[in-house]
Amino acid sequence: MKYWEDIEVGDTGQLGAYTVTEAEILAWAKKYDPQPFHLDREAAQRSIFGGLIASGWHTCAILMRLSVDHMQQERTAGVGSPGVDSCRWLKPVRPGDTLTARTEIIETWPSRSKPMGFIRRRAEVLNQHGEVVLTTVGVGMVKRRPHGEPPPPARRAETR
Amino acid sequence: MSAERTEGGGSGRTTDLVYFEDVRVGDTRRFGRYEVTREEIIEFARQFDPQSFHLDEAAAADGPFGGLIASGWHTGAMLIRMLNDHSIPLDATTGALGFDDLRWVKPVRPGDILSVETRVLEKTESRRRPEIGVVKVESRVMDQRGDLKMSLVSLVLYRRRP
Repeated sequence: MKYWEDIEVGDTGQLGAYTVTEAEILAWAKKYDPQPFHLDREAAQRSIFGGLIASGWHTCAILMRLSVDHMQQERTAGVGSPGVDSCRWLKPVRPGDTLTARTEIIETWPSRSKPMGFIRRRAEVLNQHGEVVLTTVGVGMVKRRPHGEPPPPARRAETR
Repeated sequence: MSAERTEGGGSGRTTDLVYFEDVRVGDTRRFGRYEVTREEIIEFARQFDPQSFHLDEAAAADGPFGGLIASGWHTGAMLIRMLNDHSIPLDATTGALGFDDLRWVKPVRPGDILSVETRVLEKTESRRRPEIGVVKVESRVMDQRGDLKMSLVSLVLYRRRP
């Protein structure tokens, strides 16, 4: 398992990829965000976006999926999140776009009351043209290494 | 929420849309009723947030929240649905830049009934784009007991009155 102790400021991650289909954009819009530029091809064509675009909340959910897949690959002992400091939808996400993300840990601090710690992470979601479509800064909670459980070999050699 | 809709527009626009000029700091709206089901929590989690406490009731019972809870992004999605149903059609908006200060205050569980309170915090003209303005709107998602579940501050783009 990867615990809070194993995460350091400056650690980076590469997440993805996730291809967004038109069917998925429409299904999300129908269920959660039925504004014309997310739901209706023709209305979207006439809008300032010049075509169908994904709901920004849908793009956030896709970043979550990429993050969870990455956490599970790394076996990170994540226990949820208290919130997100900021989120900016910089460019539209369109049908057929393939999204990846890069992340960097910018702060870590221990919980005073629970056997866990906090991490603050910056994430940028990019499309297949290398354009940043979404940025977020969010906080995550990760379990502390239980007493008596040895650190993974890669870290054991380090003097910390 | 009694404004009449114009026919044929298909965009849910009202005859008396609220433009940037009409927005007042302190404006408040209360609306929405979204019943959270176990099935929808799991369906959302499968697609976007497959962590055990969103996905698997048995594992969630032993997990950090003592039971199944909705993905925070699912709560966000339910908020944007309630905004679409009750608030966005009243306003001359054209999307949002993003949001700040999102807090998942309390877990959302199956059977919770969510509603929303919005309040205008600030409005700023855009120097680059004279046809729009940015309005900071706080949204608070409450449950049936009035407990706060989630809050955030959206940066909403309002059109200027033509």
